[in-house]
Amino acid sequence: MFEEPYRWIEAVANRRTYLDDQFTQGNPLIGVSFTQGILLLTFNRGTDKIYEVYDRIALGGMGHPADLEKLRYTLLDMAHVEGFQRSPSDVTASRLMKNGLAPVIKQAFEEIFKAPYITKFLLAEVGPTQDRDHLFSINYDGMFEEQREFGVLSASSSIRETLAQVWKAQGRPSSLQEALEVSLRLWGISSLLQTDTPSSDEEEKEADSSPTTSGSIIPEDEAIASRIRETLSKETLECVLLDRENGKMETYRTLSQAELQPLLPQYFEPAT
Amino acid sequence: MRQQGDFLQVLREQGYPIDSLPQPANGHGLSSHAELTTGTTVFAMKYADGVLVAGDRRATAGNVVMYDRTDKVLEIDRFSVLAIAGVPATAFEMARILEHSFKYYRRSQLQDLSFEGKLRALSTLLKNNAPAALAGTGTVVPVFAGYDPLEGCGKIFFYDILGAEFEAVEYAVSGSGSPTIRGILFYMNRWGTGPVAGLNEEDALIFVLRLMTSAAEFDSATGGVDAQAQLYPIVKRISAEGVRTIPADRLKTLFSEKVLS
Repeated sequence: MFEEPYRWIEAVANRRTYLDDQFTQGNPLIGVSFTQGILLLTFNRGTDKIYEVYDRIALGGMGHPADLEKLRYTLLDMAHVEGFQRSPSDVTASRLMKNGLAPVIKQAFEEIFKAPYITKFLLAEVGPTQDRDHLFSINYDGMFEEQREFGVLSASSSIRETLAQVWKAQGRPSSLQEALEVSLRLWGISSLLQTDTPSSDEEEKEADSSPTTSGSIIPEDEAIASRIRETLSKETLECVLLDRENGKMETYRTLSQAELQPLLPQYFEPAT
Repeated sequence: MRQQGDFLQVLREQGYPIDSLPQPANGHGLSSHAELTTGTTVFAMKYADGVLVAGDRRATAGNVVMYDRTDKVLEIDRFSVLAIAGVPATAFEMARILEHSFKYYRRSQLQDLSFEGKLRALSTLLKNNAPAALAGTGTVVPVFAGYDPLEGCGKIFFYDILGAEFEAVEYAVSGSGSPTIRGILFYMNRWGTGPVAGLNEEDALIFVLRLMTSAAEFDSATGGVDAQAQLYPIVKRISAEGVRTIPADRLKTLFSEKVLS
């Protein structure tokens, strides 16, 4: 049935629709590079979505938990064998992404007789200095991109473009508190946009043809704050810091709720 | 079935010769010199706040001093330390395997490996290494010390070359210089002013430096303290906060004030 090229293209397109739909319920994930390191932020409903991969590398995931686990193991095996047989400094996010994740995800996506991975990943590597930070995000089809300042997992690529504009419009955070505030805001925008625009990538294709519309409209500040307040009261805020100033080789640290509480901006705090 | 979080298994799948570390074709002539390859002094002892682990810094081959800045007290993770006596190549390899095994377990299973689990991992490595150990080309006799968060106390274990594991109540020693230290520790605990485990940090450190100096006096393979070359033993302290290295400056002060005079 798929021997004709047209059928194959059609089948892949159907997959996109199916997968895009799967992610509309997902939780966006934000990674922000700042002076002290890289902050990764998301909300969860019980299961953590941010993991330690190696001494300087963390992984954030969006999608199906079983697929996340499977690919997480692929990365862990690869990183630790490399770190053991060569040296911990030879384990880089770039190689994990290019040689480890991307080929596996792309192959699963294009093998239309098998189920694809329902996952998007953000791989963050903290460098000894800020200009050596790397953030890689990979889509369910194996397309990945590298960023130096911030990375995002969101329901669609149009949301990602909008967030990139928001990020450009503001200064780079210079403290953990600022990084947290910025990440929360980006998370809020992403969360609002994905519930407001139901099927996103189809819309995006239309948007591409007309150069006047670029991305979506950024929601109002009050709407963002209220979305964050609402989520804070229902779900758990999950924050991980890759701390370049830790001094030791290992940089990964989960920020506890007690640590986060005083850093949260006033207007995000849930009304009691 | 593959055991979850087992780094050794991952290495095996990658074709790494984990189960056949240095296999000598012919160990003749070496076995009687096994003691030469363990020329060193390492020990761990309990004190008031936890455990101190110390090691001299000399590496020897026969009667030749190869190196005088060896670090034989290795931090395996935040809460455990491996002090090695034996063939350095095998010992350092074991330390690297352990370090990665613990990291891999913690990251993949999302929980720390238990203290018992860490002990088992070391036993397994020693057991796998038995043929090389018996031939004398891969002898390793380590001391493992760490903080057990479940029981809330520091613990010390020592091993024979085949991997048998023994828990030390107060102290454990290894290497060619260790009989001297063992004798002194036994004497101090029995007829001294009080048990060594009750010493505060400063007194315990002074005691460690004196022990190391005594070991070096009677064992040519132990470096002891070389104040002229600014060479002090590696001393690490293990407590509830984790492993911390005692800075050389502090040892220097204590040595010149309380050991020399």
